[in-house]
Amino acid sequence: MRELVSNSEALCEFLKNMIVDTLKLEDVTIDDIGNDTPLFREGLGLDSLDALELVVAIEKIFNVIIEDENVGKRAFASIKALADFIQEEYRQED
Amino acid sequence: MQWVETEDTVRFNEVDEWGMAWYGHYMAWFEIGRMSLLRRFDLLPKQLVELGYIAPVINVTCDYKHPAACGDAIIIKTTAIKPEIAALTFKFEILHKEGEILLARGETTQVLLTSYNKMIYRLSGDLEKRINHMLDYCMRE
Repeated sequence: MRELVSNSEALCEFLKNMIVDTLKLEDVTIDDIGNDTPLFREGLGLDSLDALELVVAIEKIFNVIIEDENVGKRAFASIKALADFIQEEYRQED
Repeated sequence: MQWVETEDTVRFNEVDEWGMAWYGHYMAWFEIGRMSLLRRFDLLPKQLVELGYIAPVINVTCDYKHPAACGDAIIIKTTAIKPEIAALTFKFEILHKEGEILLARGETTQVLLTSYNKMIYRLSGDLEKRINHMLDYCMRE
């Protein structure tokens, strides 16, 4: 997992797949999601309940905790933001 | 699974022109059942506010199986299930008291917000303790 997290490009691709799989998005493929696409509202159109599901997936996969909406706003701003957030959490563990 | 049962009677103002309980009133009956369950675990809306949270409903489903008429005695059965996400999900069954005929089956989901309207993604402290206490009771065989 540490290897994946340290590779930004691979991590972004992994996160796109994770979002599509976790939320069972039917009309979205990973090619539709840019690294800077906003995940909520005008971007990918996710809502707050989707955020709750992603939080559980991220905790299971990465053992990284997103406590509340305040942290979530920053972490879920985009794929790039989420990758940065996870990488930052791993750096703090070192 | 353990259910909390509450009894009520279909009121005159709850039936429509055809003499059947209006579909929207089932939500009010769900609320009666939910309050009965929450009361046992110190999770009433006022007590949630004292802990610093509110829990708005974000989803309701209801399958109507059989009509109820004015004056019918009904039983509202309520339980809670453990969702993977930080939310509260309740299940309801409304039965005709006589013969225990199933009238409707429903489910509600509530998210948890702080008093500043920020959604929480993980349960903690007293809130977590009380919710787990309720879920342990409901999930009991």
